Amino acid sequence: MADTTDPIIEVRGLGKVFGKTRALDGLDLSVAAGEVHGFLGPNGAGKSTTLRILLGLIRPSSGTATVFGADPWREPVRSHQDLAYVPGDVSLWPNLSGGEVIDLLTGLRGGADTALRRRLIDAFEFDPRRKTRTYSKGNRQKVALIAAFARPARLYVLDEPSSGLDPIMESVFRSEIGRVHDDGATVLLSSHILSEVEQLCDRVTIIRAGRVVESGSLTALRHLKRTHFRVEGVDGRVLANLPGIQDVRVDGLTTEFEVEAATLPLVLEGVAAARPTGLTVSPPSLESLFLRHYAEPSSANDGAGEDRAGRVD
Amino acid sequence: MPAAVRLALNQLQRDRILVPVWILGIALLGFATASAVSSEFGEVGERQAIVAVAAANPAFLFLRGVPDGFGIGAVVFFQGFAFTALLAGLMSTLLVVRHTRTDEELGRAELIGSTPLRRTAPLAATLLVGGAANLVLAGCVAVGYIAAGLPAAGSVTAGLAVAAVGLFFVPVAAVVAQLMPSGHSANGAAASLVGAAYLLRGVGDAIGTPNADLTQVMSSWVSLLSPIGWGQRSRPFSAADTMPLLVLAVAAATVAAVVLITRNRRDLGASLLPERVGRSHGRLRSFVGLAWVLQRPILIGWCVGAAVMGGLAGGLGPVIADAVAGNTSLKELIGRLVPGSSADIVDVFTAALIGIAGVLAAAAGIQGVLRLRAEETEGRAELLLTVPKSRTNWLVANLMLAIASATVVAGVAGAAAAVGIFLTGTAGTPAIQLIAASLAHVPAAAIFIAAPAVIFAAIPRLSVPIGWGLLAGGLVLGQFGELLGLPEWLQAVSPFHHSPAMPVESFDPGSALVMGIVALGGGAIAAYLIQHRDLTG
Ligand SMILES: Nc1ncnc2c1ncn2[C@@H]1O[C@H](COP(=O)(O)OP(=O)(O)OP(=O)(O)O)[C@@H](O)[C@H]1O
Ligand SMILES: [Mg+2]
Repeated sequence: MADTTDPIIEVRGLGKVFGKTRALDGLDLSVAAGEVHGFLGPNGAGKSTTLRILLGLIRPSSGTATVFGADPWREPVRSHQDLAYVPGDVSLWPNLSGGEVIDLLTGLRGGADTALRRRLIDAFEFDPRRKTRTYSKGNRQKVALIAAFARPARLYVLDEPSSGLDPIMESVFRSEIGRVHDDGATVLLSSHILSEVEQLCDRVTIIRAGRVVESGSLTALRHLKRTHFRVEGVDGRVLANLPGIQDVRVDGLTTEFEVEAATLPLVLEGVAAARPTGLTVSPPSLESLFLRHYAEPSSANDGAGEDRAGRVD
Repeated sequence: MPAAVRLALNQLQRDRILVPVWILGIALLGFATASAVSSEFGEVGERQAIVAVAAANPAFLFLRGVPDGFGIGAVVFFQGFAFTALLAGLMSTLLVVRHTRTDEELGRAELIGSTPLRRTAPLAATLLVGGAANLVLAGCVAVGYIAAGLPAAGSVTAGLAVAAVGLFFVPVAAVVAQLMPSGHSANGAAASLVGAAYLLRGVGDAIGTPNADLTQVMSSWVSLLSPIGWGQRSRPFSAADTMPLLVLAVAAATVAAVVLITRNRRDLGASLLPERVGRSHGRLRSFVGLAWVLQRPILIGWCVGAAVMGGLAGGLGPVIADAVAGNTSLKELIGRLVPGSSADIVDVFTAALIGIAGVLAAAAGIQGVLRLRAEETEGRAELLLTVPKSRTNWLVANLMLAIASATVVAGVAGAAAAVGIFLTGTAGTPAIQLIAASLAHVPAAAIFIAAPAVIFAAIPRLSVPIGWGLLAGGLVLGQFGELLGLPEWLQAVSPFHHSPAMPVESFDPGSALVMGIVALGGGAIAAYLIQHRDLTG
């Protein structure tokens, strides 16, 4: 039996090639027990592909993946024993009602916790009697979410789970993540909603073109980021000579720039010496970090493919 | 360029492989039938004999149509028209439903509906595509007949007759697509209408009146309830008359106008059948349970078809017995032509119809297996296969249910035949024997069901075309193998060839056992292979 300190998910050098598209290119990922792990990246970066490999739905072309210490491709049943999944595109059986689908999916996993099921249906304001054919996108999403949460699991694999939810439902979703997190469950959450990631996740991994570009705890990541300065009442040319400042914009007597964590003390001294009349220092925003990683080319061979996936030559 | 034409070109592009395969397949069948008749029945005397046999034998009339003289062209048309027209009808209905209800169900129609086009433009485009496909079909069938040496004028009329039936089903399928809630149900309902057209024509022809020298049969009015009956009335190789074909074209145009008006008034995605609320709690807990719930409506449809087939097999028996009673020379002739020379003519008829019920049984099972593919492409398998149950479990559950479905359909056909005989108040084959005769086709059907399962596990993309293609191949070999004079080994490729034609032949436990083992082996291979491939989207 795996030690509790072993990671729940362990991925090493994962590669996946679809025909001529290299969707994953040596990806590493480690998710520890009990953590909520954010999984980010631009469209086509390989997030869903990674999750599908972790679920044993597709076979990696290279590298290894383990879930609960088992290879999900060889032992899908064992790795699915205590797992709940919400796919990126929820497609349902048009002739079944939402309630029937929820009971089918939880039933196949061993049966729903009836009290939990009832509470979730209330919280998500969901009508389980209607045929899934008639559900809106958000309601289809709720079917998958309720089915995933209505039976306690040790690992939740969620692929853009809140897409299509309205802000109130989104907050219900966040409180469910909080609940399972408190119960000690592990969550791997792929998302494009940065506020969601910021609020829920202990650690994040950012990938691009099938490779990890950044991984770590949110606090650690904040250190890597640049602080935003807005200085008033000083001639911009004086400030422009400060060491290590970037993206300088001067507008009359107002100057804005970004500062790397390492040069922060020096810059602070320089700003103080310039005797500003006003000063705003903004905390590093995650968004600027993400946007930087999303936009920058991650490596020389990163083609200009429309989905930003690598090419196999 | 008008919007409808542009949309039609887009639809044609999506159909660029499927529709040519249908058209060339149908034309090739026509060519092969014509060549076979020319070489097998080159002598006038031979043709006269076969026409006389057929004219006096309602079983023949039911399955093939009415003879219309013994010229080569006339014999070809009599042997092949009804079945060819059935295929043309199916080509049309599948084409139309694919571009209408299926597109609506999968949300593709919504994208097009948002563009600045008339609401009816996509439907009009589909009707255009259907019309064009049938026009090309007319040309190809005519060319096939001419290439086999039939008279040009008659060949062209025959091609038009086939295409007129296909054309009629284009707007009819469009109407069905407006009414039914899903692509699958629309396909099922539209194909049933095509099947009903074939059966109605069969009944009308079977109770038609032969002339004194048994060279022609005048079909009864019942045939005119069917578009295939009208197409047959064009009599291309004797007294060619395009009037009935015009009637079909006008009927098609009228239905097309009606359906365009309906479309203009209907909400996108709405169907005639109202949505009812379902259960808030489900009782489904297993793959088999889910497969059963999804298969149930399909199974009911096939059972109805099998019941009609079986009912006709039983109920028409006495009519046929009357027709041949007392005509000993005819009996002798039939005996020579039909395998199992001493066979009773009623038994031959029963065996032939029950054989078709065997094909229906296989089709019900194939549809059950191919649902696995739909679950995969439409993304539901992804939800199902992340539970702690194996893919093998999933595949085997569906495969078992598919074979059970085939058994039920076959059983229903046999039971309906028994009821048919009972209702006519005559002493025919005992019920238990009729049911056994139907069930005897299950081992062959199981092979047709296991085959797409293997393809699904190995080359999923091809499972649907190969699954249905194999059944179509088996059907053509069974219906036309003898006539086309195909070599024995080729006919033997079809598992149905090894099913005993009870009650004419006796049950052969050996071949049933071998077929059962082949099907089981196929299932085992599929169960193994499915674990070793990527799930595709
Ligand atoms: N079955 C497949 N066949 C071919 N290419 C595929 C397949 N699945 C994914 N890809 C390709 O692999 C790359 C990664 O796709 P993936 O779905 O993993 O991206 P993603 O990060 O989930 O994107 P999104 O944020 O848009 O959901 C893309 O270039 C995609 O086109
Ligand atoms: Mg994705």
